Amino acid sequence: MPRATAVLAISLLCCGVPVLRGQSGDLLKRGVQAYQALEYDAAAALLEQSLGRDSTTGVADSLRAKALTYLAATELFRGQRDSAVGAFRQLVLLNPRYRPDELIFPPQVTNLFQEVRRATRAIAVAVPPVTQLRTRLERFTARVLASSLADVAVTLAQEDGTPVRELYKGPVADSVVVTWDGLTAAGAPADNGRYVLRVTPRTLTADGPRARQVLLEVKQEPPDTLAWPPPLTTPPLLPEQTSSGPAFRSLAAGLVAGAAAVALPSIISQGKDATGARFAVGAAVGVAGFVGFFAHKPRPLVANVRANASQRDAWKKKLDAVKAENATRLRTVRLVVRAGPETIAERGSE
Amino acid sequence: MKTVALIGMLALAAPAIAGSQGRPSLAFRGDAGFVWVRSDSAAVGAAGAARLRGPVLGGEGRVVFNGFAVGVGLLSGTLQNGDQTVKRDLIEGRLLVAARPVPWLEMSVGPFVRAYVTDSSSGRWVFWQARARVDAPIVTASLTSYVELWRALSSQVNLAAGAGRVQGGEAGVVYQPPQRPFRLRLAYRVDDAAVRGAGSGSQTLEAISVAIIVGGW
Repeated sequence: MPRATAVLAISLLCCGVPVLRGQSGDLLKRGVQAYQALEYDAAAALLEQSLGRDSTTGVADSLRAKALTYLAATELFRGQRDSAVGAFRQLVLLNPRYRPDELIFPPQVTNLFQEVRRATRAIAVAVPPVTQLRTRLERFTARVLASSLADVAVTLAQEDGTPVRELYKGPVADSVVVTWDGLTAAGAPADNGRYVLRVTPRTLTADGPRARQVLLEVKQEPPDTLAWPPPLTTPPLLPEQTSSGPAFRSLAAGLVAGAAAVALPSIISQGKDATGARFAVGAAVGVAGFVGFFAHKPRPLVANVRANASQRDAWKKKLDAVKAENATRLRTVRLVVRAGPETIAERGSE
Repeated sequence: MKTVALIGMLALAAPAIAGSQGRPSLAFRGDAGFVWVRSDSAAVGAAGAARLRGPVLGGEGRVVFNGFAVGVGLLSGTLQNGDQTVKRDLIEGRLLVAARPVPWLEMSVGPFVRAYVTDSSSGRWVFWQARARVDAPIVTASLTSYVELWRALSSQVNLAAGAGRVQGGEAGVVYQPPQRPFRLRLAYRVDDAAVRGAGSGSQTLEAISVAIIVGGW
């Protein structure tokens, strides 16, 4: 017995909502069939039931709008004009841009709807579920809808109510597209966090439209900057002066040979006096070494210096370009904006 | 030992001649120098060291193949002691076969004859030399220093005493004047020949020379 109860509970958890939705859809379908069969009482009951189910299951707005339209038409044909007006009023508040199909519903129905629509002042806001944008360069868009001419203000605020940016202020006849470049009023990219996009009537009246809002989750993504150009080395830079190696090799060759001339007698014939001739030759060879040293002394290679200068200029230009591009990219932060469902704003927040 | 040296000479010369491509080139050197000879003897009654000196003239000719050379050299001069009471003619002759396994190293072998000639007698040294010479450029192709060492593989002397160790060395600098077909050389050399036996001692020859070189390596 406990096992059966658990299975039933799991089944309800897993399958309950679709079942209820299926029931709502079925009720709507049967209500529409009853309406088409001119069985208005049955149709009204079925449609009321489908809407009643909807309120607990959160069925799609499109089905709810359809049910309300058929319900309003049914009530009108049942002679319940006030109920029809009430249904249409709910419909307008649900979706200010909704229009009954004139091929399905007769003129008295559509005319009543238009009458109600003009009398019912409603606004709505539609935003894409996910928007990716680069601040300053790209824009987040929201469409503000109005059932009739309305004067609205569209603002963006932090979740705690701190104002961030006013996006639009003015009339909306049918709809208007409002855009946001991802910046705060101070011109800085919006920080990570939750924001509220709110559409508020500028003139608040008891029968006026209710403010609508959408919760936006904003997340910054780090910009992808360019790598700096590799530092200039040799090569491709050319040597700018001759190497000091040959100079020292020349000096060494002269000094070693000179020293050898001086030292030869003591190596070859030890213990015997030698003449001073070796010193003359040793000195001459040593001096030759110094001559070679100064002949090979490192000196600038003008052509290479000139060639390197142009290479350095080109490299510096490339570096400056990368710096500028990275600065631009760092200024234009990439934002990911995820939108929640549209809700009616609390009175206090309007 | 002479046989070994001769085989060495042939071994060096044969590939040079066989492998030569194109015409061989000729090189000549003319030397002018001054020589000092000191003879020390430990023989009973010898009156210390005998010193002779004098100017000499010489020359050498070479036929140069691909990296190899065959040459002959001659040097001659008259030496006297300080008070000009002793006078001898110095004559040196040399044959050589040389090779350059690398541009900075020359190795050569060959017989060398040195004679001190007086009116009545001559003292003659004959030895087979093995020489190694290292060239070190100071200013590329125009100023080069070098050091050369040699040692006798075998030696003979026509004195009562026999010939002992014979060795020598040379150091100098070679200058190539710009756009001239010749080179100039300043060199200092010293040879030391030991004498064994009853009149044991040694003969040391020092020389400073200036040479002009045309062609060759």
